[in-house]
Amino acid sequence: MDAIHDLGGKQGFGPIDTAEPDEPFHHGWEARMWAIARTSHAPDWTIDWWRHSRERIMPEDYLTRPYFDQWAQNYLACFINSGIFTLDDVVAGTANDSKSPAVVFSLEQVLAASRDQCRNFSVSIPDEPRFTPGDTIVTRRDITAAHTRLPQYARGRGGTIRAHHGAHVFADASAAGVEEGQHIYSVTFLAVDLWPEASDRRDEVILDLWESYLEPA
Amino acid sequence: MATFDSESAAHIHRELHSHLPSESALRVKALESLVVERGMVAPETLDAWIEAYSEEIGPKRGALVVARSWIDPEFRQRLLADATATITELGYQGSATGHLKAVENTPEIHNLVVCTLCSCYPFSILGMSPIWYKSAAYRSRAVREPRAVLSEFGVTLGPDVAVRVWDSTAELRYLVIPQRPAGTDGWEEEQLAALVTRNAMIGTDRDLMVAAV
Repeated sequence: MDAIHDLGGKQGFGPIDTAEPDEPFHHGWEARMWAIARTSHAPDWTIDWWRHSRERIMPEDYLTRPYFDQWAQNYLACFINSGIFTLDDVVAGTANDSKSPAVVFSLEQVLAASRDQCRNFSVSIPDEPRFTPGDTIVTRRDITAAHTRLPQYARGRGGTIRAHHGAHVFADASAAGVEEGQHIYSVTFLAVDLWPEASDRRDEVILDLWESYLEPA
Repeated sequence: MATFDSESAAHIHRELHSHLPSESALRVKALESLVVERGMVAPETLDAWIEAYSEEIGPKRGALVVARSWIDPEFRQRLLADATATITELGYQGSATGHLKAVENTPEIHNLVVCTLCSCYPFSILGMSPIWYKSAAYRSRAVREPRAVLSEFGVTLGPDVAVRVWDSTAELRYLVIPQRPAGTDGWEEEQLAALVTRNAMIGTDRDLMVAAV
């Protein structure tokens, strides 16, 4: 969908705050939010549904509220959507139905759990890939109102297949709760084919795109 | 069960916009209270995760990988061929590095990594991403005017250097391998790793400073 999250190439933002301190967390609540995200989910969510839900944050909030604040809102939204908590629970800060406390993990156990969070999105599918490296393609010009990972700035543009990565879980379907594999490619676009003001023909922008986003050029 | 209904998500966000306290700390506190109450996680486990990402999992991991790639050509080849398998040898696999790709800077090519659609980042090898990486300013401009973005970070590319911007639109994540600075012949891995900045591994830093050590 063409929502506010699709920021690539939008003009008028900046400059970038490059003087930010190097510490991993700038506020205690950021650290708590990150830790909650590593541990607490509903079993039926997919990463793509979570991302799409975040895209539905009101545009004014998306552009102005702090990043991990939006994560908190989106975790709450996804829990409410899944029927795990209600809006009333969230407002009260309690669901009044305590379950057995969770087991406490040590640092060593957390580090092991962190290694286990390495997820492989590869899927084995019978279809042969439609493209091979070196092929020229053109991307789809239009999308639907659903989740997609084909950004606006790269739609209807010509590019070249750089690499094929097998088939991965297709984000657009996964955001709708359907797990299906689709071939995925790194696609090179020349900056001059994307931006009217670009002038250096060596400059490139590379995107990872699923096969259904692409047509032969 | 999740509805997977976009309009439902939008509706819930509008309700939360009206009903949540404005202060971020209070929002996160409400979320923590609920997940702890339901037995999804213990507060002490959250403390342990914060310690893990403050002390153990951070850019020093990526810096070690880069330093090793400078002194061990065979390691470098494996890293460029399959970065996930190679960091797994070191126990550095984890969040968002299941499809990690290492891309190398050369005298003619500068690599820059961005996620224009959200904020994808290889957490288990670089730790927490900086706020600027997640900002609208960086996400909008990195793909369109990378040289202007780089200049804000103090990086000026010579006329013979091309820019290659990687927009992380799927589950692949990118690690930039900066060039080894001159004057470091014979240095040990640890000394070399101390030269490697987080920004160099994202691509917003290029010429690593030997004098900084």
